[in-house]
Amino acid sequence: MKHVIHILEHDFRNFFRYKWWLVGLVSMNLADLFIMAVVYNHMVSSEVTKTYKSYFDFFAPGLAVTGLFASAFMIGREVNMERRREVHHYMLSIPMTRMELAIGRVLSGGLRGMVYMSPLLLTCFVFVGFPTIPQFLVVLGILFLLALGISGLSIAIAVSTSSLEKFITARGLVYYTLFFCSSVFYPLSLIQELGQDGKFPSVLVTLAEVNPLSSASDTIRSFLLGSPAFSYYSIVNVMVFSAVFTLSAAFAYIKIIERK
Amino acid sequence: MNKLLLVIERDVRIFFQYKFLIIMRAIWFVSQIALFGLIASRMINLREVPDYFRYYVGGLSVMTLYSAAVFIGFDLYEEAEHGVFEYLLSLPVSRQQLVLGRSIGGGLRSFIYVGPLIAVSLYVIGAINPISFLISLFALFLFAFGVSGMSITIAVIIKSSDRFDILMGVLDALIVRLSTAMYPLAIVQASSPLYGGIANFNPVTYAADLFRWGTGIETIITSQNPLMPLLGIIAFFGFFTFVGVVIYDKRIEGGGWQ
Repeated sequence: MKHVIHILEHDFRNFFRYKWWLVGLVSMNLADLFIMAVVYNHMVSSEVTKTYKSYFDFFAPGLAVTGLFASAFMIGREVNMERRREVHHYMLSIPMTRMELAIGRVLSGGLRGMVYMSPLLLTCFVFVGFPTIPQFLVVLGILFLLALGISGLSIAIAVSTSSLEKFITARGLVYYTLFFCSSVFYPLSLIQELGQDGKFPSVLVTLAEVNPLSSASDTIRSFLLGSPAFSYYSIVNVMVFSAVFTLSAAFAYIKIIERK
Repeated sequence: MNKLLLVIERDVRIFFQYKFLIIMRAIWFVSQIALFGLIASRMINLREVPDYFRYYVGGLSVMTLYSAAVFIGFDLYEEAEHGVFEYLLSLPVSRQQLVLGRSIGGGLRSFIYVGPLIAVSLYVIGAINPISFLISLFALFLFAFGVSGMSITIAVIIKSSDRFDILMGVLDALIVRLSTAMYPLAIVQASSPLYGGIANFNPVTYAADLFRWGTGIETIITSQNPLMPLLGIIAFFGFFTFVGVVIYDKRIEGGGWQ
């Protein structure tokens, strides 16, 4: 456990080296909320405003999830860089088990995502409303599991790609597919309607339904806005995502850094 | 003139070495159309924007052009880091030719890159009015040169890649969101007079409005008079190209790149 804490400290120090970059990223996220969402308020259909009060209220939880995703994914970039510059040889020489090293990396990626996301979640609560304490704990739990899964996913991609360019391209593909095929920007019901009308491939509709970003955003919305209805399925969905990618990333990380 | 062309050619060649960046931008563009554009258009009130999908696709071309043209600023830092800057300064090319060539090269390469994406946009949007479209295409050329000039000017003023990266990210977020790339001006003005005021004097607004006007499709045209946006783009291009030359000339020497 002590060794895992050392890894966390190392990764957090790295994270805060980019403090101005983080400030820039937060301000971009806030521009999405306070400009884009405010303008969209005036042009979204009445169906959306009836269900969610306004697009701003609908989007605020999605924005917290977006921020969490982007920041938790940053660990992958560092792991990829370490692999290319062969820093992993040094990491392997540290007196700790491989599993501690791997779990430490996945955990620190997730926790960094939580730290980054906190001001965005607070902004969401201030403008949309505060949940009850049990609801708040559920939100934190589901976001933490999601952050772990995202961190694992980014490490899995980072160790499977040999160059920064390939990592960035793979990251872009994952980003856009997961973001746009989710309920972060628009209600899931719209995607399902498009699927029923035959205007959207059923594979992508299914992806949007099982997408952990949809599950996390909709769980926060269900507590703050009362819609969509809370579903235990969302929690199970995020738990499965987190378990699969945390474990696969840990094993892939160990396997790859030991490779000569 | 020959030296100017050499500078332009070099920047165009360099851009096409970034294969993965190009692929990623293309993925972004296609996913914006096929996923975000399609789904978001479903939640838009038809009375406010009758054909949001086509409206959005028109704005997306300008957003992509903007982000591709900005990229030249990052090239300057790459060159400073690897000592190529000193090599460029030692070439028998005047400072004015160098910055003008880089500005035009930055705009041209982004235009070459966005060309196929604009073709995709036009296919999605539908018919075009040939004369209007040629005028709007010319304006987009000037817009791309202006954005490249702006990126170069900011890069040589700041001389710090971290600060530049952050500033361009924030500027991108603000300049695109406070424009008519994603929503009509009347809606921006209705949401906030401040946002409306900024959007009214935004080069991205001018470029997006002209591009939509060039298509000639009534349901997505939000500016009936192309003169104002055209003059706005010419002023933007003139300012950042010619003022950029002066600033570049003053700041280029003396090192200090971080």
